[in-house]
Amino acid sequence: MDDRRDLWRMGWAAFCLGLPFLFVLAPIGTFILYSFWHNESGALVREFTLENYRAFFADPVFRSIYLQTVALCLGATIVNLVAGYGIALFASRRPPRLRFALILMFMLPLFTSYIIKVYAVRGILGHRGVLNELLIASGLISEPITAFIFSQSAIFLTFIVLYLPFAILPIYLSIERIPENLGTASADLGGSQMDEIRHIILPLSLPGVVVAALFNFVMTFGDFVTPTMVGGTEGFTFGRIVFSQFGVALNWPLGAALAVILLATSVLAVGVAGLAMRWSTAR
Amino acid sequence: MKRHSGLFDVALGALALVSLGIIYAPLAVVWVFSNWQPVRVRGALQLAPFSWDSYVALTRNADILGALGTTLLVGLVSMLLALILATTFAMYYWRTVGVSRQIMQALVFLPFLLPPIVVGLSLLIAFRELDATRGAFTIVVGHTVLLVPVVYRLVLTRLNSLSPSLTEASLDLGASHCQTFYHILLPQLGSALLAGALLGFAISFDETMVTLFLSGSTSTLPIRLWSMMRLGFVPEINALATLVVLAAALATAVFGVMQLPGKRGAR
Repeated sequence: MDDRRDLWRMGWAAFCLGLPFLFVLAPIGTFILYSFWHNESGALVREFTLENYRAFFADPVFRSIYLQTVALCLGATIVNLVAGYGIALFASRRPPRLRFALILMFMLPLFTSYIIKVYAVRGILGHRGVLNELLIASGLISEPITAFIFSQSAIFLTFIVLYLPFAILPIYLSIERIPENLGTASADLGGSQMDEIRHIILPLSLPGVVVAALFNFVMTFGDFVTPTMVGGTEGFTFGRIVFSQFGVALNWPLGAALAVILLATSVLAVGVAGLAMRWSTAR
Repeated sequence: MKRHSGLFDVALGALALVSLGIIYAPLAVVWVFSNWQPVRVRGALQLAPFSWDSYVALTRNADILGALGTTLLVGLVSMLLALILATTFAMYYWRTVGVSRQIMQALVFLPFLLPPIVVGLSLLIAFRELDATRGAFTIVVGHTVLLVPVVYRLVLTRLNSLSPSLTEASLDLGASHCQTFYHILLPQLGSALLAGALLGFAISFDETMVTLFLSGSTSTLPIRLWSMMRLGFVPEINALATLVVLAAALATAVFGVMQLPGKRGAR
């Protein structure tokens, strides 16, 4: 009886550790291994080499696109943080029911198809798209603005439309968590509404800001669908380069190495966020 | 609460309003174009009179409907797999102690934390090493790997909120472990599993970046749309998109109302 129980228990443990091992760790391990192999005239050569990594660091095109993408994603993250903070603050100052409805309205687009949204944004920003037509119709411009689509700025705008809700939620949750009596105390002591925001809400909600920043940066940095759809030939990003190694360029080991660099960048962002978190809660 | 700083609130309100406008603009455009089809008159954008033509065309587009069928099937299968696996994993974490459960949890969460492009190409490379042909099966594996951490989290949170005396009483009264799980724990997990099922299905339905690596010649809806959009414009997409958005809005509203009493009770 006891033997059977033990056997059962061991089987359970093997199952619960084995499956994640097979379907998570093994693929990631293989992928990292691939980044140290290389392609020779279309065939995979399974020998250890740093060639792919050298290609990244030696090639000025890779390097400049990498830096450009980091800057692009940081920029979109900052815009989303500022706007997201304002919106979260606004929502937190409404009565509970309205607050809930507001947050739900901002979250709803997250549950609608990602690819359809990108496609729709392309229709809006297009050369003769909705935005340009509206601007022309209103007499503000006479010629369509070409920078809206198939450029870095198109990616930037689309990132803001798509990822803003991801910035609002963590900030909102951290503002929600601040005990209400802190605000009351501040008011009793003669502090103004602005004092409360500056000295109580802002410092206490910094952890939410850090989480929001991390979400936004990591997600935009890894996104290759948006840049492909709205970036055209001008808007090349690092994620697109990684993806193209598995499609057109068909150099899997190089793609794997570039993806490792993308992953390392995300891990670095997590590290920076961890430090920022420690700093923001220590005070 | 009589501490207004009116101007500040108005400014924040304006920001919120403009932002809502911006994030809903794509959805609005898709809906308008589905009923008033866009036409080009000497390059300029104009709208055709109101019609249901794009919806009718959608019902005849075997390509899109086929992809929709695949998406529903993939979503259903990966959701069920994720429910079973996540519950098993959560039970393991809940019932054991030591390093092994920590390792398991870290591995379970990993795909959720990694950039989707890394998850997608890891699985792609692994499947190639195994000489597996890409298709519905590989997509299901990819989606299950993504859904398990989400359901796991929900189930474990629920398990942790249960009192241990519940299972102790059941075992003391002579029920087996299986009976205890089936009659005592499972009913308690109901709402967490329902939430996990809905959320999981929604994620699978929409998944694009990992699926792009794993789809091969089988297309789910997002993959079909991806290749259609790159080739050019089909009016049916707007009709389909509107329906998808409506369904999502409905599901979110239902979910939101379900959450409402609890939300207020917590305050």
